Amino acid sequence: MKNATLFSRRIFFASILRVGSHRSLAALGAAAVLFATVPAALGAEAAKASDSKAAALIETYEGKTDLAGLDVTSTFTLIQKKEGEADRVLRIQIYRRDAADTFTLLFQYPDSEKGKGYWRSKDDLFLYLPTTREFVYRNRKDDVGGSDIRADLFGKPNTLAQYWVNLAGTAKVSSWDCDVVRLDAKKLDVAYPVQKIYFRKTDGLPVKTESFSAGETLLRTTYFVDYKALPGGKYIFTKILAIDALEKGQKTYLTNEGVATDKIPDYTFSKAFLEEKSR
Amino acid sequence: MKEFVALAFKNVFRNGKRSLTLGINYAVVAFILVALAAFTRGAQTNVSRSLVQATAAHITVSGQYAKDGRIYNGLLRTDDIMKTAKKSLGPDTLALKRYLVRSAVYFNGISKRLSFTGVDPSVDVGFRGQMEFTSGSWDAWAADPNGVAIPESVARYFGLKAGDDVVVSVRTRFGAFNTGILKVRGIYRTDNYFLGDLTLTHFDFLRALDLADEGTATAVYVYLKSTARLAEKRDAFATSLASEGFEVSKPKGDSDAIAAVSGASQRYEVDRIGRDRVMAKLSTIDEVLGIVRNITIAVQGLGAFLAAVMLFVIAISVFINLRMTINERLREIGAMRAMGVDAFAVTALFTLEGAALALMSSAAGAALSAALCLAFRAAVAFPSGGNLAIFLDAGHLALEPDLGDMAILVVAITIIAAAFSFFPARRGGRIKPVEALTATF
Repeated sequence: MKNATLFSRRIFFASILRVGSHRSLAALGAAAVLFATVPAALGAEAAKASDSKAAALIETYEGKTDLAGLDVTSTFTLIQKKEGEADRVLRIQIYRRDAADTFTLLFQYPDSEKGKGYWRSKDDLFLYLPTTREFVYRNRKDDVGGSDIRADLFGKPNTLAQYWVNLAGTAKVSSWDCDVVRLDAKKLDVAYPVQKIYFRKTDGLPVKTESFSAGETLLRTTYFVDYKALPGGKYIFTKILAIDALEKGQKTYLTNEGVATDKIPDYTFSKAFLEEKSR
Repeated sequence: MKEFVALAFKNVFRNGKRSLTLGINYAVVAFILVALAAFTRGAQTNVSRSLVQATAAHITVSGQYAKDGRIYNGLLRTDDIMKTAKKSLGPDTLALKRYLVRSAVYFNGISKRLSFTGVDPSVDVGFRGQMEFTSGSWDAWAADPNGVAIPESVARYFGLKAGDDVVVSVRTRFGAFNTGILKVRGIYRTDNYFLGDLTLTHFDFLRALDLADEGTATAVYVYLKSTARLAEKRDAFATSLASEGFEVSKPKGDSDAIAAVSGASQRYEVDRIGRDRVMAKLSTIDEVLGIVRNITIAVQGLGAFLAAVMLFVIAISVFINLRMTINERLREIGAMRAMGVDAFAVTALFTLEGAALALMSSAAGAALSAALCLAFRAAVAFPSGGNLAIFLDAGHLALEPDLGDMAILVVAITIIAAAFSFFPARRGGRIKPVEALTATF
């Protein structure tokens, strides 16, 4: 069974790399023509309403991944691969309390990043820099440690408030049949004005998202390779692969290990905790 | 009197060796100070001219605007600002809008963040004469709304040639990513330090890339026929803008002025006031150059300090030399005093001798310095991308020796020499004829 899973994952990775590169080139080419001819008409084709089936898919997925009733502790390991450069590895301890819309991230590896951390409380995201002992206010959509993983990956998603959602057909990702939902931003204050999410038909969980610019150029493809079931029918991703479509050969692998749902002390979600842990 | 002055000048050459030693000191001081003055004057003129041809105008209007509860960097109602400039400053005024964006560029697996400047090529042609195209041309760039002109250094970095397409990706002012494709229509080199990193695109392309509304620009650049009484003209322009409903301010200091003319598009902030408005900041070129002026003042201050040290050493030499001269010329002093020349005249003669030596030597040093500065400027060329680039005018170090500066320096050195000659000279003048003759015979 283990071998079968591994084999299926190998096929999955092979297929996503193939699909990712073809799609990004095609999207880039299409966007080039679109932008070159009518630059002022960006986003003109964007939807202005949501269809109910797509909204239901989003609600189902958000319901399953909504960890509002749980405190979650886990360890993220990010491996960033860039062509011609040595791999960059980051290990981060995660503390989440989605009910209070807060999380704390603590960098554990490499030593140069040790002690650095993020603390988010609602819309405020702070980056703690132990070298200067200061907190820097950041956009909540900040890339974590300069990787392809973004800070808004943690916490409760609010897709229907930010996007018009519509079905965009079906597709096969690896061996899974998926419903494809296209997201068009209601306002341009989201990082990716257009996104496509591929929901696995078997359980309604996303296996892939494609993130586009306002000009509909593919910028990033994120694959949700594996999930872990939590109490109460909830799920949390345990493996993610993010591929930068513009930066050739740049990928970030993320593993989410040691997932626990024990109660986390309130003090963990504070600036003082980050300061204390950096000493 | 005329004979008296002539005698003083003649006496300078009586002890040639001593005068030469002292004269060389005066000449060296004058040489250094004239060279420093030529450098700082040249730097100021060069930086000012280069800036005006690149990133700052005689009056630069930049600022922020509030719309729908958010504050964005840049200006709205740009056309109104340009019309008001012409109305209040005269029809000869040239007002140009530009859009600045810092964006990542991707080509062939390589990426780099570049600063883009968007201009309207039908009216904003000031860059044209400063760009030497090594591939493509200004006309090819101007004719293509998606065209880009890039510096040679950028072309080398990416391995780009004319006709290549590059992808640009920017985090827009709203927070959303946007992308576009630019075609390389020109690769250029320039001697203007401030244009060295200029990546030139069309205004409309950058505005669309930043997803900004019609009427938005990063800044409006106002060029006047005459820059005389610039502060007054800025005030008149500010008053007119205020009457058109703009909130107008001036930069708080030199750094604020620099920031005002170099700020690129950034993401929005939340507006705490909640009223739509355009906040325009008017910076004059004098304010933008304030920092340059401070640097040149610091250079001049260092030069003045060095000169003061050298002059102090010279003053001591003058003092000792003149005392020795007086001791050697006691017979002459005694004869003069016996003939009825009063003490004041003897003091004046020796003081004049000291001043004459300083005048001739420092004038020679200053003239030599000016000539060498001009020769150096004409003969020696530097690479445009080097550390000296900011001081280069067409590849040559911008040294500007000035006759006024030279005259002031020579007079100052002469006065100092005269002052330090006076005290030993006064001692010589006070010698009674009988004392002088007794000491001699």
